[in-house]
Amino acid sequence: MLELYHWEPNTYFLKPLIALHEKRAAFTGRWFDPTAFEQFAPGWPGNTESALQLEREGPILVHDGAIISNSFFMLEYLNDALPGINLCPGGAFEQYRQRAWGQVLTAVGTGVTELGCAKYLAPVLRGIEPATLTARLQSIQPLERRQAWAAVAGGTLDEAALAGVRARLKGPIKRIESALAATPWLAGAEYSIADIDAFSLLNGLPALAPDVLNRDETPRTLEFLERVRERPAVKAALALSRTGRPEEAFVPGAEGSRWG
Amino acid sequence: MLTLYHWEPNANSGKPMLALAEKGVPYESHYLDLLSFDQHSPQYLQVNPEGTIPALVHGERVLTESTPMMEYIDSEFDGPALRPGSALERWRMRWWMRYFDAYFAPSLSMIGWSVFVGPAVRQRDPQELRAAIERIPLESRRIAWRKAMFNEFTPAELEESRRRVVFAIDVLEKHLTAYRWIAGDSYSLGDINGFNLGYALPLSQPERCNDTRTPRIMEWLRKIYERPAARATWAKARTQMGERVKLLERR
Repeated sequence: MLELYHWEPNTYFLKPLIALHEKRAAFTGRWFDPTAFEQFAPGWPGNTESALQLEREGPILVHDGAIISNSFFMLEYLNDALPGINLCPGGAFEQYRQRAWGQVLTAVGTGVTELGCAKYLAPVLRGIEPATLTARLQSIQPLERRQAWAAVAGGTLDEAALAGVRARLKGPIKRIESALAATPWLAGAEYSIADIDAFSLLNGLPALAPDVLNRDETPRTLEFLERVRERPAVKAALALSRTGRPEEAFVPGAEGSRWG
Repeated sequence: MLTLYHWEPNANSGKPMLALAEKGVPYESHYLDLLSFDQHSPQYLQVNPEGTIPALVHGERVLTESTPMMEYIDSEFDGPALRPGSALERWRMRWWMRYFDAYFAPSLSMIGWSVFVGPAVRQRDPQELRAAIERIPLESRRIAWRKAMFNEFTPAELEESRRRVVFAIDVLEKHLTAYRWIAGDSYSLGDINGFNLGYALPLSQPERCNDTRTPRIMEWLRKIYERPAARATWAKARTQMGERVKLLERR
């Protein structure tokens, strides 16, 4: 029995949806709305790891009773546990590169979700009656997850802070652009979980930050996104959207470095 | 030809050192003194332009991310398997390594840098220190070193780090109550990662990590320290830092 609890096919939620379609795996999709806080309902599948939620909000996979969280390690798990196309191809060094991309892309996830939340989620939260929202947020555990929601609701990211987020994204985007100059896919000659990870996090970025991702400075990255978007598995994953605008679906993501 | 550039058996440097020792793989060791900024020297920047340690050079291949580096070591070389056989346990191992790397370690190291690394370098000429900062390639590392050298951590930042360390110790104790090792039934890279992060906790957090309050963590640390590979790895320490592991000797 394979169930995936997911929201709109964007960012962390999109990754396992692509992998499941690449694997041609039969699964039951459990679509939920995290902006309506459905993930905090009684009876929601959870364990120690999913409760700590290092990605703040994300998909939950339930496979024969085992509860799997964290979208990148979920990709590795799906590749390990299911038959079908090998999404971690190559030898030890190629797999090292895929995992190293997983680490680099964590910072991309942080920046993209900060920009997306400021633009799309903050107005949604402002539409909720303040006392209702405060009561709702107060029950969220652990503290960092609650603070991430409260930061979006409180509009703590002003224009200057958002400019800082866009500036910090330029470093990892430059690395992606350079890598794609050397090889067709991020970790080498073959399509892998690194490409699924990057596409899922970057799909909404051209609209959010055209100064970071554009034809003049990052042509290879944009071409890469188009190439991934043409894959049947990716098309099928994106077609699961209920709003028709999955690239506008954002909830709080992984925390950035606390060192500054 | 296998070469490891590393500092003390501690934190990120200690991860590949202990993994290689467990596999029984010989390597050429290049010790870099973090407190003398060897990792920002022109010679080392030719190996790793980002100036972070450790770095593993295997033939033409250069690996600089310490946690994926351990998985490479386990895949590439003979010796005992350091990853569990089941997909679920491998997932758990990876999840916990991320928890250590992204949540526990940054808070613990912020405290460590404020009380140890900062004071250790601060008595040097401020101009020399500023020049050393300018040589650091990554902006995030320049910020970290500037904060440590000039004691720029805010009280609120340090307080939040202390809160997180206490919280994470309790989370880890609970986990080790449910599981014998980090991934489940077998010793793995997750334990190697966790040991490098936590071996000095009984010294740095004596009120929070001790035989009465966290008996599972204490037993887990002692079991790892009793492994011949851990003994051999910590015997390579060149400074007083390595001495801290001796607190784990059974009395």
